[in-house]
Amino acid sequence: MIGHQLALIKREIWEHRSIYVTPIAIAVVVSLVSLAGMVTVSAFDKEVNIALFGAANIAGDAERQAALTVFFLGTSWVFLFALAILTTFYSLDSLYAERKDKSILFWRSLPITDAETVISKLLTAVFVLPLFTVAAIIATHLVNLVITTGWVMVKGGNAAHLVWGSVSLFDNWVAALVVTVASAIWMSPFIGWFLFVSAFTKRSPLLMAFMPLIIVPIVEWIFFRSKIFASAVFGRGEMIPLFREMDIEHFFDEDRMQVNKEAVSLLAHIDIGKFLLSPSVWVGVVVCGLFATAAIYVRRYRDDS
Amino acid sequence: METAMNSLMSARGVSKHFGKVCAVDNVSFDIEKGKIVGLIGPNGAGKTTLLKAVLGLTECEGELSVLGLDPFRRRKELMQNICFIADVAVLPRWIRVCQLLDFVETTHPNFSRDKAELLLAKTKVDSRRDARVRELSKGMVAQLHLAIIAAIDARLLVLDEPTLGLDIIFRKEFYANLLSDYFDEERTILVTTHQVEEIENILTDIMFINEGRIILDASMDSLGEDYVELLASGEKADRARAIGPIAERDVFGKKVMLFEKPDRARLEQLGELHTPSVADLFVAKVKGAAA
Repeated sequence: MIGHQLALIKREIWEHRSIYVTPIAIAVVVSLVSLAGMVTVSAFDKEVNIALFGAANIAGDAERQAALTVFFLGTSWVFLFALAILTTFYSLDSLYAERKDKSILFWRSLPITDAETVISKLLTAVFVLPLFTVAAIIATHLVNLVITTGWVMVKGGNAAHLVWGSVSLFDNWVAALVVTVASAIWMSPFIGWFLFVSAFTKRSPLLMAFMPLIIVPIVEWIFFRSKIFASAVFGRGEMIPLFREMDIEHFFDEDRMQVNKEAVSLLAHIDIGKFLLSPSVWVGVVVCGLFATAAIYVRRYRDDS
Repeated sequence: METAMNSLMSARGVSKHFGKVCAVDNVSFDIEKGKIVGLIGPNGAGKTTLLKAVLGLTECEGELSVLGLDPFRRRKELMQNICFIADVAVLPRWIRVCQLLDFVETTHPNFSRDKAELLLAKTKVDSRRDARVRELSKGMVAQLHLAIIAAIDARLLVLDEPTLGLDIIFRKEFYANLLSDYFDEERTILVTTHQVEEIENILTDIMFINEGRIILDASMDSLGEDYVELLASGEKADRARAIGPIAERDVFGKKVMLFEKPDRARLEQLGELHTPSVADLFVAKVKGAAA
């Protein structure tokens, strides 16, 4: 059973190379952009020296850590945005392409159930894609730290102290992992819906997936003057119940006139318990499960002949 | 229901409707172990639908048992002992040869990687393990598919137009390899094709299907006894026609008549007797059924 799942998930990665090519491409672009940035700033010799002097002598550990964390956060959002697009296209393609090229007949000639196949695609969308993204985020951080180290050293700064001494890699990476996987679980009803559409539609899965999301709210408004569907669907995009209440004053200790060290930790803002206890998370998981079951049913009972 | 000891597949009153269209109409048959059965029918006769029912890919009415299992309900178990080639095009085009072998090896309990490697070594695919299926020629894809199938220790092999679109050399080779690498008395093959002539000498049994019904179900050995073709001309042809042939056609000014359950002694006096080809018999049966 587990052996089958591993083989099936491996197959998904073979078939959809964009699962790893996209994060790698983004990692390369982000690294090149930050390299270009450093080269550009280097033209302003005087300012750079002042900044380095400031970083080394005036700012404390917490400030430097905050600066690096903000930089890391900025790059991570690019990856998350790309992941959302990648997951959408992957799920919409996953049960559609095999019917289009008729390879479904070959896959179904092997002793693998339709449930195993659909579950492998669901697991790929919810866990494997985010894991590749997290790996790319970590690689990007490392590459950028190395680039920054080189740059600081060229400028005569103490990189071990300024860069590596200030960064909290573990905190950033675990946070990236938790946020990415939790986001995928939070958005899983959409993944389930996309899988279902890709299992039944005869053409244009993208159109078939998004049309109802636009038409249903309009119809609901015309007939019932209500926005239940729209707020349930689009409301999900707004706030994932994963973060603690933000208190901006918490960041800055006014008495000591410096950034609060604990506040710089990303993990300190994440509340996994809140996420796991949130009913809307579990409603989403159930909706995802229902759509996935429907996809299994369609793959099993539909007959294209 | 009584089934023979060697029965591998049995159908009793199997039907399949698509809306109001009846693709398979109340079909009953038995297939025994160790046979090579040709399922022959014109386009739209219900061949593929019947095969899909046998493979558990579609639900049907009536009683259908394959290897003692209900194919639709227990497809996973069934697929451990059945292999299936629908058409050369069905191997996924994006997959690499080595990936395909890895995948089948991990997912199929009865697959022998060693045997597959041995069979592939004899083909042109051997030097192209890293190639994707879409980079291979149609003939090579067929060789690859057959090598995989032949390396699976399965009891039933179902082939639906396996050589469609291949040139004559590959087609001949395909069936030759099928016999040498795959077939033995423990295994059974069910095959459909348009090119009846190419397989008639390897078949042990034959089933004709037309408009969803089986119009002939016989062993190849019995065909020679039950059907005969008479070549006659002139007044002898008229006398032969009076006996009631099931089909008649002209060849070089002579009449060729096909008789069912013939009185050989009587026909021999009227002209030359031959065993009819499966193709001619098929045409006669289908036209007869339509008349």
